[in-house]
Amino acid sequence: MSDSPQIFTLKQVLSSIKKTIEDRYTSTYWVKAEMHKLNLSKKGHCYPELLEKQDGRIVAEIRAIIWQTNFDRINKRFIQIVREPLKDDVTLLLLVKITYSETFGLSLNILDIDPNYSLGELQKERQETLKKLQQEGLINANQQLNFPTLPKRIAVISADSSKGLSDFMNVIEGNSWGYTFFTMLFPAQLQGDNASSSIRQQLDRINRVKEHFDIVVIVRGGGAEVGLSCYNDYQLCKSIASFSLPILTGIGHSTNLTVAEMVSFRNAITPTELGDFLIQAFHNFAVPVKDAVKRLRISAITISSGAKVILNNESKLFRSVSKQMLSENKQNVNSNIKELENNFKFFLLNHKVLIRRIEQATYQKAKLLLANEQNGIEILKSQLPNFSKAKILSENNKLDSFLQSIRLTNPINVLKRGYSITTFNGKTIGKNNKVKKGDIINIKTATFNVESEVNKVEDKSE
Amino acid sequence: MSKEIKYTEAFDELQQIVVDIEDGEITVDELSIKVKRASELIKICKKKLSATEEDVNLILQELED
Repeated sequence: MSDSPQIFTLKQVLSSIKKTIEDRYTSTYWVKAEMHKLNLSKKGHCYPELLEKQDGRIVAEIRAIIWQTNFDRINKRFIQIVREPLKDDVTLLLLVKITYSETFGLSLNILDIDPNYSLGELQKERQETLKKLQQEGLINANQQLNFPTLPKRIAVISADSSKGLSDFMNVIEGNSWGYTFFTMLFPAQLQGDNASSSIRQQLDRINRVKEHFDIVVIVRGGGAEVGLSCYNDYQLCKSIASFSLPILTGIGHSTNLTVAEMVSFRNAITPTELGDFLIQAFHNFAVPVKDAVKRLRISAITISSGAKVILNNESKLFRSVSKQMLSENKQNVNSNIKELENNFKFFLLNHKVLIRRIEQATYQKAKLLLANEQNGIEILKSQLPNFSKAKILSENNKLDSFLQSIRLTNPINVLKRGYSITTFNGKTIGKNNKVKKGDIINIKTATFNVESEVNKVEDKSE
Repeated sequence: MSKEIKYTEAFDELQQIVVDIEDGEITVDELSIKVKRASELIKICKKKLSATEEDVNLILQELED
């Protein structure tokens, strides 16, 4: 053995492996694995890659095969139950037989896929999405937005070819009330693996021009009801829930409500129903407007006719009241005139009497005055002769006393009483006519003139 | 959205006028003014129901930016 080792052919070795494996793994096994790629061939066989990841790292990996006969049966049943096609990157519960082929190596022959497990997984994803949105407080965020009074301007996320889109457009554009909507299509894939990112991309675009829109609608319908699990996708549901415009969905399917529909502002079962809802919103605006017109007309007529009645009544009342007042005033004026007349007459009479009285008084006073004056004059007249006699007498008396005085002052009369007048050189002796011893002076008495010589002089003035 | 608010306001104002008139809150002096205002508001509301104002080209241009 040491010098000539046994040599096997490759076939021998691989056949041995094959035998060992087939002996060891006789039964079939349920295996949980992620199907990375389905790899459907033209012949209808699939060559998926199965793997297991832990923390994002691949920890196990193997090739698998689904023969065409198995695949048709598996896929049909899967779609029927899960309402999703078999697709890449989902964890599946697989019934496998471990096989080994000398030419293809080790692989797992997939005999069946448990659709209920996948359904459960989808349910789990749905639950997780719900839970996350709940935790983030986003679950009712879109529903709490204010719905516009008139949802006129609509950003439509749909596909050109979608029957749901044409149903929706027929309803809102064909309405018989003349309501006009503005719509703009933001085309997206509405189902399958790419739908989530495709719809989110359109939401981003709408967000950039959101000022032009009142609401967003997502409408789908008419196609096969598969690949709708995208509406449970966390990212998509989060985008819908947190969008700043109300998002209305009309996805049109008969399966369980998806999370996207739950978090949207409003969900309609079908695009047609969604269109009807929008028409109803217009009605809700239009009907009160119409009603307002009616009520306005009635109220305005009521008010103005009421005012007219009041005005008529008031003017009637005014007429009668003013007539009455006029006649009352007339009477008043008449009675006043009469009173005035009477008063005036009385006044006149009074004054006449007064004037007459004054007249008489004046006359009498004048008479009295005149009599008085005449009296005075008479008295004066009677006194006048007496006055003149007395006057003459007093004048005589005065003249007599004058005469007396004049008589008394005559020097002769003085001399008679023993006085004498001495003169020197014809003048009386005084300071200016002094005499000295020996001078001859003249002495005159009442009866004699004496010439005498001066013996002695005594000047009394010094 | 600003246009929308304007229409909502028009609608609210219209409703208020109708209520005021019905409640007799309005004098005959104000009546013709209010009715005139209401008919303007009705016109605005009706126009909103049947008119399209958005310019597609403008939106497309904004999407390009």
